[in-house]
Amino acid sequence: MQYAPTMSRDALIDLAINRYFAQVDAKNLEGVLGCFHDEALMCVQTAFTRHSGKAEIGRMFADFFGAYQTIVHKDFTCTVDAKHGRIAASFEAVLTGHDGSITRLFNTNFWRVRSSDTVGKFQEVYVYMSGVNPLV
Amino acid sequence: MSSWTEGGAGQAALRYPHYVDIVTKRYFDGVDNKAMLQVLDCFTEDAILTEVTSMTVHDGKAAIAAMFTKLFTDFSDIWHGNFVHTVDPESNAVCSQFTVLITPHGGDELRYENCNRFYLKGDKFHRVYVYMSGDNLLKEGDA
Repeated sequence: MQYAPTMSRDALIDLAINRYFAQVDAKNLEGVLGCFHDEALMCVQTAFTRHSGKAEIGRMFADFFGAYQTIVHKDFTCTVDAKHGRIAASFEAVLTGHDGSITRLFNTNFWRVRSSDTVGKFQEVYVYMSGVNPLV
Repeated sequence: MSSWTEGGAGQAALRYPHYVDIVTKRYFDGVDNKAMLQVLDCFTEDAILTEVTSMTVHDGKAAIAAMFTKLFTDFSDIWHGNFVHTVDPESNAVCSQFTVLITPHGGDELRYENCNRFYLKGDKFHRVYVYMSGDNLLKEGDA
């Protein structure tokens, strides 16, 4: 699906990296959910897992935040299609468990951004993971 | 371009259609029709293709060719479709999501929901990363 493009390249990168992932790493649930439309869809394609709507996405992130002591996303390489309101990024996720164990994932996310009242938010998010899916 | 990096600065942007066409009309059309020369023509000589979900690395055109030889031998039917592309001429890259329907000889059809990240050097693939929603099908070639 394609949404009317209204955001610049820099604005799309800012939304995905500085607003979304920064809030995930800070475990700021309200900040994370502020990046999504109410009826957004988030799919982990490599695990055939679907979270539909802000309530389901919020429940998933609450569990995710509780499952790890620290969450770090870093080393982003962004691919930006501003003409179509899409952005993809590869990155490393470093998840440290409460027992000190460390899980490293090398993932790729795709975001489709729809603007409403001039504010761009995620309408669809697709995650492809290099390992076991922790977003359940 | 000696300091080439994936999606890095200093690359010449190609026209938007080039990225969609090399992925769909050349690369995946070649894969689906088992046209080895058409497939390999999409890669630089020292290209590397990595299947990320199993961290299988095919380093160089010969290794990539061996991998495709095995794929073409092991499966009777291969189809890639339902593409959604994220095209970025500024970083000379395209990331594509798609469905794969693939049938092993004598077996049942398998459905995958995959993505590829393609980073070009000039007008060809130089680094390709594949994510699969199931077991890795891009195994090392037997040759």
